[in-house]
Amino acid sequence: MIEFQNVSKIYNSGSAPVHALRDVNLKVAEGEFVAVMGPSGSGKSTLLTILGVMNSPTEGHVLVDGIDVYGLTTEKQADFRHEYIGFVFQQLQLLPYLTAQENVLLPLAIAKMPKGEKVARAREALAQVGLKGKEDRLPYQLSGGEQGRVAVARAVVNQPPLLLADEPTGNLDRATGIQVLDLLRDLNRAGQTVIMVTHDAQAAAYAGRTVNILDGQIVAEKSTEPATACALPAESHSPVNVGAVFAPLHA
Amino acid sequence: MRLTDVALNNLRRRKGRMILLVLGLAIGVATAVALMAITGAMQADVAVKLDEYGANILIVPQASDLSLSYGGVTVASAAYDVGELTTSDLDRIQTIKNAGNISIVAPKLLGATELGGRPVLVAGVLFPEELRLKRWWHIAQGMEPTEPNDALIGARLAQTLNLQPGSTVDVKGQPFRVVGVLAENGSQDDSILFVDLAAAQRAMNKPGSVSVVEVAALCNACPIEDMVMQIGEVLPQARVTALRQAVTLRMETVGQLGRFALAVSAVVIAIGALVVLTTMLGAVAERRQEIGLFRALGFRQVHVERVILSEAALVSLAGGIVGWLAGMGAAVALAPRVANVTAPVPWSPVLALGAIGCALVVGLGASLYPAIQAAKLDPTIALRSL
Repeated sequence: MIEFQNVSKIYNSGSAPVHALRDVNLKVAEGEFVAVMGPSGSGKSTLLTILGVMNSPTEGHVLVDGIDVYGLTTEKQADFRHEYIGFVFQQLQLLPYLTAQENVLLPLAIAKMPKGEKVARAREALAQVGLKGKEDRLPYQLSGGEQGRVAVARAVVNQPPLLLADEPTGNLDRATGIQVLDLLRDLNRAGQTVIMVTHDAQAAAYAGRTVNILDGQIVAEKSTEPATACALPAESHSPVNVGAVFAPLHA
Repeated sequence: MRLTDVALNNLRRRKGRMILLVLGLAIGVATAVALMAITGAMQADVAVKLDEYGANILIVPQASDLSLSYGGVTVASAAYDVGELTTSDLDRIQTIKNAGNISIVAPKLLGATELGGRPVLVAGVLFPEELRLKRWWHIAQGMEPTEPNDALIGARLAQTLNLQPGSTVDVKGQPFRVVGVLAENGSQDDSILFVDLAAAQRAMNKPGSVSVVEVAALCNACPIEDMVMQIGEVLPQARVTALRQAVTLRMETVGQLGRFALAVSAVVIAIGALVVLTTMLGAVAERRQEIGLFRALGFRQVHVERVILSEAALVSLAGGIVGWLAGMGAAVALAPRVANVTAPVPWSPVLALGAIGCALVVGLGASLYPAIQAAKLDPTIALRSL
């Protein structure tokens, strides 16, 4: 599904060029849950932005379902992000002036579909992440965990084939972080391809494959048995079965 | 959820900024509207006053041999006895289509006579009309004529012939009593003897004859050229002329007021545009991460521009309406006090549409650059917290 072909990225902003990525080759198959791990400055953020079709590589190609995404025009890249990618951001990035439902509706604001269908999709997505009855709450009226679930609902409401998570637990307390990870895992089990950047080994344990990156190069890759709900503390369990909801979207 | 909903929700949340933007535009629009409305009322006022100030149409007999002039326009010489106009012609003037615009009709019989061995121009006039027409006349000595044989005399003529109120003059055998001496005003009126029209007709043996008719028309709305044509049609034997000076002066005054209002309005609206520009640039800078999020979610550049411009349009619409209402309120309150305008300030729908349209054009125009800047923002800003 996703293929990095000899991808390099050089930043020329400072006195000396910075090689953020060096000749990276990576393949991610449909339905995989991949964690990209690395310390600060290792290049994992650059990898994520290139994956997210937001940052053009200096060399190499990125193919998604055979499409050379950086061969597209800027506006077509925007369309690609809209149709192919759902983002879960480190700081969740919920708009504080929009309700939970409106935040989830945001990616659909530019979609061509009847208003009723947009609302139905958003409400369904919120219901399935356990936020039924809280659609009209503003972000500050929700707990951290609930905000995380809104962010996940927004990322998948447009039914994107690829979900990118950027340090999804980075700014959350442990319990809330686990709730978000549970959701991601459940989505993955329902067939959603997930790529998550993290420096947290416990978060990476949720992935089926971990890619370690250092100084812009992939230094190690290992497949793991994803953490199961039984292995987690009781309070970390996701209260809903997201997989059951999103599975039909990618059937 | 549509893009306009995003804009509307953002405005609702950032009430302070929205109020600042609305006020910035509203102050500009209000100033422009107030100036335009006051100027409009002043224009109407000035036009009415100017229309009443002297004649703007002159009617003289068709004549080829002219030797005397009057009021800056050459008229038929009294010496040649052209006298083709009559008092009955005056009634026909009142039958023209734009008769309602005629304010004063002041006929004159001009004739030459000799006083103290000097040739003197005598003008037979209807004193009530003449005094209304020539508001600049000031009787320096004596009083206004009341009797048929009363006469007014120009200052220089009075001085030359050593005449004063109470003196008697003889015009072709008919005695007239000088009741007033006009103050010198620099015109040829200073050298004319004014007597009653009917008395002059008798003295000159020209019953019903008129040499020249001055007409003051209220021409704020009517085209003076049309009136000239209409009078020409009812008086084919006469030459009808629009006094360009008066018309030009009026147009210039009115035009100057209009240009002044436009210039001040343009400056104030330019300041309003700057307020919008800086506020919107500030808003874009403040919302970089949010706009980055839009881009990351797949919003095209045009979608981001649409969000920003939707906000600008909503704010501009509000600014235009508030500004128009405030400007009209200020105009109604201030016009009589500040501009000493007696005419009511008109509630013009054109001004209302213009104000709102102007606010939209200025608001959207000033937001165009911030919108383009916003659309160019890098979507990775949404991830910058890394």
